[in-house]
Amino acid sequence: MALEDYRADCVSCSRCSYCKWIPFDHVKSWRFSRACPSIEYSKFQAYSLGGRLSVALSLMEGRSGYSEALKDIVWKCQTDGACDVADKICRYNIEGLEVLHELRFRLVEEGQTLPRHMAVIDNLRKEHNTMLKPKAGRGKWAEGLDVKDLTREKAEVVFHAGCRFSYDAELHNIPRTALTLLHKAGVDIGIMGKGEMCCGGRVYDMGYREQFTECARNNIRAWTKAGVKTVVTSCADGYHAFKRLYPELGANFEVLHTVEFIDRLIKEGKIKFKKAVPMTVTYHDPCHLGRRGEPYVPWQGKRKKIFGQIPVWEPPKPRYNGAWGVYQPPRDVLKAIPGLELVEMERIREYAWCCGAGGGVIDAYPDFSLWTAAERIEEAKSTGAEAIVGACPWCERNFMDAVKAKDEKIKVYDVIELVQRAI
Amino acid sequence: MALSREAYRALEDIVGPENISEEPAILDSYAFQWLAETIRPGQSKFMPRPEAAVLPGSTAEVQAIVKTCNRYKIKVKPYSTGWYFYCAPQTEGVIQLDMRRMDRILEIDERNMFAVVEPYVIAATLQAEVMKLGLNCNVTGAGASCSLLASATSYHGAGPSSIFGGENNQNLLSLEWVMPNGDILRTGSLGSGLGWFCGEGPGPSLRGIVRGMLGAKGGLGVFTKCALKLSPWPGPAELPVEGTVPAYNSPLPDNFRAYSLAFPSWENYFEAYYKIYDNEIGYIAHRQFSMLGTELGTAFWMLYNDPTKTLDDIEEFTQKPEIKKLTEEMKIAFQIVLAGLTPRHLEYQEKVLDEILADTGGWKVAAMSQPAMERFTLLYLIRLGHKNLNFVYNGGWLGTFMQAGPPDYVKGYRHIAEEVTEPYQKKGLLVDCGVDAMMGPVGSMGGGGNCALEQFGYYDVADKESTDAVVSWTKDCVKGAIDKGFVPGKGSHYLAMGMTREQRQSSYASAPWLGMYRWQRKIKGIIDPNDIGDELYPTLDEPGK
Ligand code: SF4
Ligand code: SF4
Repeated sequence: MALEDYRADCVSCSRCSYCKWIPFDHVKSWRFSRACPSIEYSKFQAYSLGGRLSVALSLMEGRSGYSEALKDIVWKCQTDGACDVADKICRYNIEGLEVLHELRFRLVEEGQTLPRHMAVIDNLRKEHNTMLKPKAGRGKWAEGLDVKDLTREKAEVVFHAGCRFSYDAELHNIPRTALTLLHKAGVDIGIMGKGEMCCGGRVYDMGYREQFTECARNNIRAWTKAGVKTVVTSCADGYHAFKRLYPELGANFEVLHTVEFIDRLIKEGKIKFKKAVPMTVTYHDPCHLGRRGEPYVPWQGKRKKIFGQIPVWEPPKPRYNGAWGVYQPPRDVLKAIPGLELVEMERIREYAWCCGAGGGVIDAYPDFSLWTAAERIEEAKSTGAEAIVGACPWCERNFMDAVKAKDEKIKVYDVIELVQRAI
Repeated sequence: MALSREAYRALEDIVGPENISEEPAILDSYAFQWLAETIRPGQSKFMPRPEAAVLPGSTAEVQAIVKTCNRYKIKVKPYSTGWYFYCAPQTEGVIQLDMRRMDRILEIDERNMFAVVEPYVIAATLQAEVMKLGLNCNVTGAGASCSLLASATSYHGAGPSSIFGGENNQNLLSLEWVMPNGDILRTGSLGSGLGWFCGEGPGPSLRGIVRGMLGAKGGLGVFTKCALKLSPWPGPAELPVEGTVPAYNSPLPDNFRAYSLAFPSWENYFEAYYKIYDNEIGYIAHRQFSMLGTELGTAFWMLYNDPTKTLDDIEEFTQKPEIKKLTEEMKIAFQIVLAGLTPRHLEYQEKVLDEILADTGGWKVAAMSQPAMERFTLLYLIRLGHKNLNFVYNGGWLGTFMQAGPPDYVKGYRHIAEEVTEPYQKKGLLVDCGVDAMMGPVGSMGGGGNCALEQFGYYDVADKESTDAVVSWTKDCVKGAIDKGFVPGKGSHYLAMGMTREQRQSSYASAPWLGMYRWQRKIKGIIDPNDIGDELYPTLDEPGK
């Protein structure tokens, strides 16, 4: 697809501003009613989904050209998709999030890039990670674990740590625990270790389609060779890439986030909790596990008009509007932990506020990224919870940094860490 | 015509460099507006591009901007939430004031039942906050996304709940107004330093001047704060919400009921309106679900409530026998929400409603009273958070007729709307959703007494022929109304947007209320001496000028 293929989506934006807010039915307060970090931070209309559709149209019509301002509009956005969910409350014929991506693809193809993103891409090409780190350090997180190395052995299940968990030492306990839990529950599981390749999901969101495809093909090849049937990850970005993007390239693996796997094991009685964790926590839905974590549905279709002027797809096009993301398993896991109380924030599930790290924002606009995280921390605090719990290393890193920057008391955990405490 | 550097710097000094822009891409996001394609050359989605976008953060900044505009003779167009081509600059040489930084709820006076808001406060957020105190606000027909201040000061402000909660132009209490000459005027009790509680005094009561005929639509200075009358909310402090996106629903307590009421004839239908007014029942009353057309709407609402379905499935839904039956049943119907302030109050309303139905031959549509549909209807009508569904078919929607009056008056133009629409639907130029795609408030002002029906035309905004057709259809609607002795209706306001200044002057001169346009000229002459507002505050030139 090319940007021009989305012209109808752009012109049919009604400029209603739903994309700036959480679904109105769910508005519980003035304070936590907004959905789009980008417009809240940058304020001008262009920084909303509707605004970006008009900017795309302006670009396509030659009314405005490439400029630093345009790049800022295009990339100062987490591609978290809250706008897309709100838009699709009323619209079936605008693929807003796809337009946000197409704008990025177009700019990248035309060489209109951001230096900070290019640094990430260069490192990805050379070192296979987005963390600006050397390839050699990739497997360190798993040192000392008794686990199959799938670059040499075979297993049913591969555990993909992902770039953040691999290189962020403060978070290493999380993939280690997840892997150990699954291993102990009898799962035939292995890792790629230092041969692991970035999932490519983050660079896809940054607009680097080719680099994504390269990563995906590499991973698909390696997993196939290792006889893998199921891919498990504790990273929401990776989950989205494997669940939603890889099938488009022909991948055919079962994809599970560890919260889903652990939820399954708890329900099957294969994980049992022995200790109470007396704590009140609130759960943050990672965008890529929640609204963007819906399963891929294969589809090809043609446009036709019915009833005179209703453009529809034949056969019906799958709808990605956040309805089928992974929301309940992490909540069920938390609720199963003895002594733990889960309290909800106002913006949850498909209309959760983003952590701020996605879409290349953490790389190019660290201040905006932290501001977005701080906003979520405020919301978490408003529930009275002692901790905000996530299921993605990018969210957790950003929350930890925001908590530190603001000298807050609230703790940041991964679901896995609380499971570990209860076992 | 770019702003002079001097003028730009003066504006930048007021709001800071981060709150002003003249980047083409940013400015085009302001020029892009709904309905632009119906009046702009080449069906462009862009209205004239503003010279700069400016985001003031306080009344003092607004005042300084307006004074600067007077100094440099720059036109200024403010908007709050900015939905409509009315909100964009109408000509070149205009700066756009985007009021989104002024977004606070300043005060909620629980005992006196009013709230003070800034321009960017939307209905959803104020409603959520005041519900915590047992209060509610009137959400305008445009829905939860819209600025309440704009609806009260600058447009009409009617909505489904107006029968109980009043129109927002009625609910407007005291007001803070940066007039086009840069002076600040505080109306009503606020003007005497007595707080916000009253719009009519003891201070200047200028509601008529402020609002003109239908609100100045951003053409007469900038309204920076206003107080709005609230009404009682007999529900929980927080709307309980369940269900899967997009059709959420609300399991409200037993003192709430939502019905779709159907009638054997239009005579009976409008008779029920009178009886509802006379008996003062109803918390919300609106002909809402028919807006998507009486032939297609029912199928849509059913698929909308199935999260596994999409618009692509609508043909299949129209073929289902139960939907065919329901479509027939819902043809002459409206929706009503009853809310009991006490259990007896609900009981009373139920009894009265049953008697009204018995007298008029009407009935409660059973399928719409099923718990799931009732809960959907309640949430939909109370929050009005789905009004962008007007655009669901294809992104293009335009409303005509909507002349407000007593039911007998509205009854008179209803069939004209159908006759004018039929050929456009038959030829496939507008969505063939049924010639009756009319919606409107059962009581468009507090206590009822008058109502309206707005006919919707759905055009494919990406299709040239369909877009041309909707303009031609609008003209036919206006002509159809005038030919039969009705005032022109809503479509005429849209058509006027595409007129030259000369054409507009000639249309004002032939209007039955041309005196109003003359008075507005006098008012503008006094408070806008440098003509920094736009033509959406309509004035009739002095003869010979
Ligand atoms: S993108 Fe959708 S929600 Fe946003 S303004 Fe356009 S139509 Fe409305
Ligand atoms: S993806 Fe997120 S940041 Fe970007 S426009 Fe949508 S809601 Fe805003």
